[in-house]
Amino acid sequence: MTPRLPPLMYPPMNFLSLSRSHRLFEALGRNYEIYFPYPGYSGSSFTNSALTPIQKAELGGVRTVDPVKAFFFMGRERVSDGFDSAPPGTRTRPLCIIGAKACDLQGFRILDQVFMDPEYGDPTYRRLRETSLVISSDCTTALETCFCTALGLQPHPQGLFDLNLSPVDGGYLVEAGSAKGQAVLDAHPDLFEEAPSGLTAARDAARSEVKAMVESNVAATGTPNGKDLAGRVVHHYDSPLWAEEASTCVECGACNTICPTCHCFLLYDQKNDRGFSRFRVWDSCLLNDFARVAGGANPRERLWMRLRNRFEKKFEFFPATGGMIACTGCGRCTSACPGKIDIKRVLRKLAGD
Amino acid sequence: MTEKTPYSSVECEVLDVKVETPAIRTFKLRPVRELSFLPGQFMQVSVPGVGEAPFTPSSFCKIKETIEFTIVRVGRVTEAIHTLKPGDRVGVRGPYGKGYPLDAFRGRDVFVVGGGVGLAPLRTLMYSLFDMRKDLGKLVYRAGCRTPSDFLYWEEINSWASKPELDMRLTVDRSDGTRECAVGLVTTIMDFDGVDVSKAVGVACGPPVMMKFVTKSFLSLGFRDENIYLSMEKNMSCGFGKCGHCRLGNFYCCKDGPVFTYAAIKEFPGIWD
Ligand code: FES
Repeated sequence: MTPRLPPLMYPPMNFLSLSRSHRLFEALGRNYEIYFPYPGYSGSSFTNSALTPIQKAELGGVRTVDPVKAFFFMGRERVSDGFDSAPPGTRTRPLCIIGAKACDLQGFRILDQVFMDPEYGDPTYRRLRETSLVISSDCTTALETCFCTALGLQPHPQGLFDLNLSPVDGGYLVEAGSAKGQAVLDAHPDLFEEAPSGLTAARDAARSEVKAMVESNVAATGTPNGKDLAGRVVHHYDSPLWAEEASTCVECGACNTICPTCHCFLLYDQKNDRGFSRFRVWDSCLLNDFARVAGGANPRERLWMRLRNRFEKKFEFFPATGGMIACTGCGRCTSACPGKIDIKRVLRKLAGD
Repeated sequence: MTEKTPYSSVECEVLDVKVETPAIRTFKLRPVRELSFLPGQFMQVSVPGVGEAPFTPSSFCKIKETIEFTIVRVGRVTEAIHTLKPGDRVGVRGPYGKGYPLDAFRGRDVFVVGGGVGLAPLRTLMYSLFDMRKDLGKLVYRAGCRTPSDFLYWEEINSWASKPELDMRLTVDRSDGTRECAVGLVTTIMDFDGVDVSKAVGVACGPPVMMKFVTKSFLSLGFRDENIYLSMEKNMSCGFGKCGHCRLGNFYCCKDGPVFTYAAIKEFPGIWD
């Protein structure tokens, strides 16, 4: 650890102008494979700097359509080759994810707990988490589907980032959240400058404004507070609400794959040039066979039971076993659902009698 | 130390295949390195490039060089397993989960009830109980199958009848004219003599409906919730609490089970589904 200078001797060099941010990202591109949000028809999605010029990055706005988890816990990943006990070699260049939002960072809390346990840690996930650089950014607006504040989160990052960028006039206010992030600041002293006065206040005002937008969403929809959801799924275990909500479900599993905390997967084996390999692929608890046992018995035979299971897992199992709700309020499941199942509505019903 | 992946299997050679019933075979495997396990723990057995499925070993855990699995042909992977011949290679990883807490059984009466393919994991357990027989109180074994020809390990189990101090009874749902056996559900042969139910351990392993009714019988006989051990079956993929397939209430069956006391799970809705 390098000793830090006493903070008051120098004003913080934490302003990064827009044009210098592009230089920073280009410089990082020498060591990292860079991904950043790029606006599209239904929201922004991550793109690679090899495909899209970094100048097109959209760091404000809201969470991307695709969850950041997909870079760390990939849709399909080779996890073993033959009888070899060593993990298969993976990419050589570490990742740099730019523009992760607070809800995605919260997703790391859940996924880290699942995949980085000391006994059976997932080597690929761990390596990606350790080698990647995560540059998050504040939300500068909110979607109707956003409800992070109901779960005690804020629409701006409060940890679990290496660097956070808060969009302000002419560029970003930058905060380092880890030694790795600080090292980036230290390595590019020419790019950062003292923030023009008033920018910190402007950032805080912008944050409050976005937070108020999410809070008014939450209030308008009667979305309950996460704290009040303990025991509610069990309370409503046999309620007709599940069948009501599941009546439009088409069993596509989009709510699972798009979710920053859904971690379920299936292992499958395949013959190949190496002999055979084992793959871990995303699985979805809404699909019929998810819990079916080999003999044919299916404990969650009906679609509504599987929908209930999703809520039970997130709002009962995780709080009981991991001390936190496995939902970040990002609203992606609501946006992705072809059946228009709205998680806020389900939670409101759960909070009722 | 080189990094290890928890997903890889240990290579094993198939040494012997024994046909138990038309749909059930027992495979004796020799792993290239030792795979120890405790009664009740399970492992993932794979056919290279085809897939894997979870099984509890059926052999005595103190035999280290080989390990046996009794496997019913019910799906794609078990179909492939059933084609295996001596000399073929398979993969095994594990063991996973918690087995029976045998140390806690010491000094107590133990009442074991099994049904159908549940007799496979119980064979492992019975070997260990025989091994620690002098430390136990009464030992009771009740087993039921659909028909006499479905009875796993028929000769072997019948040979246990000569063991001193084993109170054993077998039953079948209906006779099929092959072997001589009493007829009736296993819950109808749960009477016994002189077991101290306030401390006795009850063990049930078999199809969910059977375990449900055996648990009811244990309870009405006076067994305590915390002394009833159930071997729960769930869909399993990873085996170590990551893939999410095997959730049972606030537990993962793979890592917190597959053996649970009734006390631990009785409050969760839908445990028998
Ligand atoms: S089998 Fe994967 S969590 Fe239990």
